[in-house]
Amino acid sequence: MSSFDRRRFIGSGIAASAAAALGAPLRVFAQSGEIVIGAAPPITGVFAFAGAGLHAGLSDWVEWKNAQGGIAGRKLRYVAEDSGYKVDQSVAIFKKIVAQHRPPLFYGDSTGWAKAIAPEVSQLGSLLATGPSFSSDLADPVKAPYYFMPGPTYSGMIEILLEHVSRSAAGATKPSVAFVYSDTEFGRDPIPAGKAKAAKLGIPVALEIVTKPGAVDVSAEMIKLRRAKPDFVIFHGYVLAPIPEFIRQMREAGLSSRGMGTIYSMDKTTIDQMGATGAGFLGVMPYRYSFDSQKTPTMELIREVGSRKPGSPWQTLFYTQGWLVGMIFDQVIGRTLGAKKELTGPNMKAALESINKWDTGGIFGVPVSMRTHAIPAGRTYLVTGKSIEPASDWITIG
Amino acid sequence: MRIGDFHASYRHDEALFDTRVQRAWLGVLLAALAAFPFVGGSYFVYLACLLGIHLISAAGLNIMTGYTGLISLGHAAFMGVGCYTVAVAEKASIPFYLALPLAGLVSAAIGLVVGIPSLRIKGLYFAVATLAAQFVLGFVFREWESVTGGVRGANVPAASLFGFELAGDQRIYFLIVPLAVVMLLGARNLFRTRVGRAFIAIRDRDISAEVLGISLFHHKLLAFAIGSFYAGVAGGLWGYFFRVATPELFGLPLSVFYLAAIIVGGLGSILGTILGATFMTMVPEVLRALVAWAEALGVQEAGVFLASIRQVVFGLLIVGFLIFEPHGLAEIWRRVRRFFHLWPFRT
Repeated sequence: MSSFDRRRFIGSGIAASAAAALGAPLRVFAQSGEIVIGAAPPITGVFAFAGAGLHAGLSDWVEWKNAQGGIAGRKLRYVAEDSGYKVDQSVAIFKKIVAQHRPPLFYGDSTGWAKAIAPEVSQLGSLLATGPSFSSDLADPVKAPYYFMPGPTYSGMIEILLEHVSRSAAGATKPSVAFVYSDTEFGRDPIPAGKAKAAKLGIPVALEIVTKPGAVDVSAEMIKLRRAKPDFVIFHGYVLAPIPEFIRQMREAGLSSRGMGTIYSMDKTTIDQMGATGAGFLGVMPYRYSFDSQKTPTMELIREVGSRKPGSPWQTLFYTQGWLVGMIFDQVIGRTLGAKKELTGPNMKAALESINKWDTGGIFGVPVSMRTHAIPAGRTYLVTGKSIEPASDWITIG
Repeated sequence: MRIGDFHASYRHDEALFDTRVQRAWLGVLLAALAAFPFVGGSYFVYLACLLGIHLISAAGLNIMTGYTGLISLGHAAFMGVGCYTVAVAEKASIPFYLALPLAGLVSAAIGLVVGIPSLRIKGLYFAVATLAAQFVLGFVFREWESVTGGVRGANVPAASLFGFELAGDQRIYFLIVPLAVVMLLGARNLFRTRVGRAFIAIRDRDISAEVLGISLFHHKLLAFAIGSFYAGVAGGLWGYFFRVATPELFGLPLSVFYLAAIIVGGLGSILGTILGATFMTMVPEVLRALVAWAEALGVQEAGVFLASIRQVVFGLLIVGFLIFEPHGLAEIWRRVRRFFHLWPFRT
C-alpha cells in the first residue's frame, strides 16, 4: 500500500469513525408510508412496576394493528428505549428518537418529562405526546397543546370518588372525607380541585394529612385520624405504602372509615400485596379490569393477544393503558388521514379534540370524549375478600 | 520521543497550555466545539448541553470536595437555588447575562451559610450537615409556593439576547458550552493561585495549613462559596435548558450523581471532573444504544431484560474503575499519555 493510499485509508477510517460517533448508522428515517411511534417507557427505575406493562401494551397493539394492515394502509413502527424514569434520560430519548425517526406520536414517562418537552413539542408542531402522568397541569390545551392523557386527570379521579361518596349518602347529611396524600407533585396535584369538588357536593373535609411517599411509621397521623373519624379516607400519591399500614391501624383502632385510592394503587398486583388489609378498599379505575366478568370486545382482544406471549403482563392495568394509548393513536391518525390532511401537530390535535362519544370496545364502559385533552370517565371498584368488584356504574364528570 | 518541557521564560512557565502541541489540540477542540451543533444532530447537541451543565456543577463540587476536602451531599440543592433564581429573575425581566451570575451569587450566599459548620466539624460529620441543607432547601422549594411554584414548579422562559431567543438545543448550546469552557478554565487557574493552593493545603492537613498562616475560616467558606457559585450557574443553565424547575429535579440522587462523577473521574483534578462527568453522562447513553442495537438485531423479547441489565453493568463499571484505579479516570488518562510520551520505551 503506497503512502498516499495509506493516508487516504486512515482518513477514510477517521471519517467513518466520526460518522459512526455522530450516529449516522442509527439514522433510520421512516420508510415511505411508515408511521413511527416513539416511546420512552420507564422499564427500570422507581416506576418500573408499571413501565414493563405500558411498554408491552403499546408494542403489542402496534404488532396487532400491523397484522390488521396498519392504519389506512400504512404500517406502524414502534421505537422505544428505557427511560429509567429519569427526566434527563427520557428527554434524551425523546430528542434521539425525534431526530432519527421523526415520529408523529410519542409516549413518554412522567410529569417532569412532559413539562420539559412541552416547549419543544409546541415549537416543533409536528407530533402529539402522551404518557402515564395524569397531572392536572398537563390537561391544558393552551399550555400543552400537543399533550393528552389516556384517562381522567388525578383531579378527575378524586372527583369520581367524591361523586361516589355523595351518591352513597343515605340521608341529607353527607359523609365526611379525609385526604391523605404524599408530599410530592403527584400527591398534591388533585387536592385543591378535590376540596373544591367536596365543597360543591356539600361533603365535609374532616382532615388533611401529608406524608412522605412510602412512609412507614404513620402512628402520629393515625392519632389525627382517630380524632377526626372521617367516613372515607382518600389516599393519593402512593402506589402501596403507607396505605396498608394506615388501613391496618384504622381497623385496630376500631375506625369504620373506608379507605379509597386512585389509579396507581388500584392495580390487581398492588391490591394483592395489601393482603387481608386490602379487603374493603375502594378505588377509582378509568379502565375495565382484565378479569371483569362482563365480556367486551377490546378486553377479549387484549386477553387473546397478550396471552400469546409467555410472561406477558397483559392482565395489569398498565398493559390496558398501553393498548388504549395505541387505540387513541389509531383514532388520531385515522381521522387525520381520513380528512386527507398531513400528520402535523395542529391537524392531529384537531383530530384528537374531535373524539366524541367514542366506543372503546369496553375499556371504558361508556362512550367517551376528549375534554381538555383528557378522558373524564371512570368507575369505582371495591376490593372484596377474593376479587375486585364494580362498586358503581361508570361515572363521567365535567 | 518527548523527554520533558523546557521553559525559557516565566511567562512560558506560567502558561496553562505550555507546548505548541497542547495549544494546537486546544485550537482543534475549540473549533470542533464551535462546529458541533451544525453537524451533530439534535440528540448529540442535547447531550453536549447536558454534559456542559454537568461539567460546571461537577467542577464546583470538585473544588469543595476534591480540592478542599469538604464533602458535600447538598450540591443538587444549590443547583436548585440557581434554577429557581433564574426562574424568578426571568419573571422580573432580568436578562440571562445578569440572571446567571445572580443565580451563582445567591447559591454562593446560601453556600456560605451552609459552610459555616465546616469550621467546627469535618469529614462525614460535615457531609451530614450538608445533607441537612439538601433536605432543608428541598423543603423550601416545595413549600415557598409564591416564589417557587411549590411542587408543581415554575416555568422558565427561554433566555433571550436583544429579542433573539436561545430556544432549542442548537441555540442554547452556544450559551452552555462556552460558559462550561470558561468556568473549567477558571477552576483550573484557581489552583495556580494562592487561594487555590490554600484549599489544597487545608485538604491535606488543615492544622499544618493554619500554622502556615492560612485562615481556615476564610478559605473553607470561600471554597464552599465558589463551589456553590458553580452549582448555582449550572442550575441556572439547567433552568434555561429544560425550561422548568421542580423540587423533584434537585433531590439527593442528583447530589450523589455528582459525587460519583468526581470520584470516578478523580478527586482534586479538573481533568478528572471532565472525564467523570462525561463517563456518568455518556455511559448510560452508550449502554442504552447497545440495548437498542441488540433489539434491532432481533433480540426483541430480551429488551426488558437487557434494560435492567444495563443498570447493573453501569454499576459494575463504576465499581470496576474504583477497584482498578482508585485515583479515577484522570490517572488512567495520565498513564496512557505517559506511555505514548515515552513510546517505544516502557515506563
